[in-house]
Amino acid sequence: MNVKKLDVRGLKCPIPIVKAKQEIERMASGDQLEVMATDPGSVPDFQGWVKVNKKVSLQSQRVETDDSGRQVYVHLLERLH
Amino acid sequence: MSSALSAEVEEHSLELQAADLLAMIDAGRPLLVLDVRNEEEYASWRIEGLRPFHSVHVPYFEFLENPDDSIARIPFDTRPIAVVCAKGGSSSFVAEVLRDAGRDARNVAGGMVAYGDHLQARRISLGEGYASQLEIWQVNRRGKGCLSYLIRSADEAMVIDPSRRTEFYQSLAASLHARITAVVDTHVHADHLSGGPALANASGATYMTPSENAGTSGCALGDGARLRVGKSITLVLGTPGHTPESICLLMEGKYLASGDTLFARGIGRPDLGSDVRGWARMLHRTLRHTLSRLPDETLVLPAHYSDTSEIRPDGTVSGILGELRQSAPELQIANEEEFIAAMERATRPAPPSYPKIASANRLREPVAEDLASEWEIGRNQCAAARASP
Repeated sequence: MNVKKLDVRGLKCPIPIVKAKQEIERMASGDQLEVMATDPGSVPDFQGWVKVNKKVSLQSQRVETDDSGRQVYVHLLERLH
Repeated sequence: MSSALSAEVEEHSLELQAADLLAMIDAGRPLLVLDVRNEEEYASWRIEGLRPFHSVHVPYFEFLENPDDSIARIPFDTRPIAVVCAKGGSSSFVAEVLRDAGRDARNVAGGMVAYGDHLQARRISLGEGYASQLEIWQVNRRGKGCLSYLIRSADEAMVIDPSRRTEFYQSLAASLHARITAVVDTHVHADHLSGGPALANASGATYMTPSENAGTSGCALGDGARLRVGKSITLVLGTPGHTPESICLLMEGKYLASGDTLFARGIGRPDLGSDVRGWARMLHRTLRHTLSRLPDETLVLPAHYSDTSEIRPDGTVSGILGELRQSAPELQIANEEEFIAAMERATRPAPPSYPKIASANRLREPVAEDLASEWEIGRNQCAAARASP
């Protein structure tokens, strides 16, 4: 199982989900993608997106603070099949 | 070169400004609003106009996954489609998908952030035959339900409770051939970032706040203070309750800029601090004593409204104190303990950004643009909820 990181900090929607979708397409079943975003709207966006994309599941979401003091929303996704 | 230019022109015509969107809705022009934000954002805050309009909700990530099904969910008719999202990025993508499918779709530029920032000014009618030196302009931040005021007399102007789009007030003052000499905040706002310090700074005016929040700079306003703007006199009334430092401004003895103390249909909530009982007690005294001295015909000019139905046909929001005394149940509770209990029952959670906004306003700290937009999302929630019967 591989874990890949995707940094979309500072980018506004739809970019975080467009890029996450591209990465997920290239992954194998069981691989994980950790997405780091700064838009708080990304939290409900990822929750909504995984309901309509059948190839991905949302494992967890957490909030961290990066070196510049920004809140970072970390979304852990998994490729299903 | 020429193709780049035509692309630019085309790009421009594919966008709709928040001001134009509101004007179309208010005028009842045929229009379909497609909101592509997520469920949570759509449920908590959306475009509102003076007339009902057809609104459809399909999140942008559904267009990303199932474009054909998503397009099929938009009613097919001749109405133009205004596509809106949080900041204008996702809606731009969806509008393009729709145009590729032959639909007349336009992106609402800047999304809900631009909608929430948009300001419009309307002159308050001061009554027939009123020929005073005073002119009152109400500046309505439609997306948030925030009201600020520009008072002009002779060649001077005072601005009350400005939003952070300070250039709007400067342009309004300039169009009235007046210079802004005073900027006042009626209290430490928790729902929006004050434009007061920046506006005062940019226009060479004095920034004034109630005594408890005067800090080391600026000018303190206490109960009984008098402000002169041109030829007009404004009296400061200490009206604690919504917050301990809240003031109202009584202009020419008749027009009350009531801050968050009185609204057109109710009162300001006393539960945004840590002491709802103490603040409710102050609010009751303010309502039963300080404001009870004002005549019934006093025009109430509030800092907020909760619902677009409060906007009058002339585009302004106001109340007549006498009518408010009859219609607002909160103003009819004579017993202090009963009032405090009612306010306690009406307590509800405040948006999580409110303490951060209040703190930045109190300390007069500038806040970065993206953070400011994030904090200011949503309509104001400053009115006291009606206690359930």
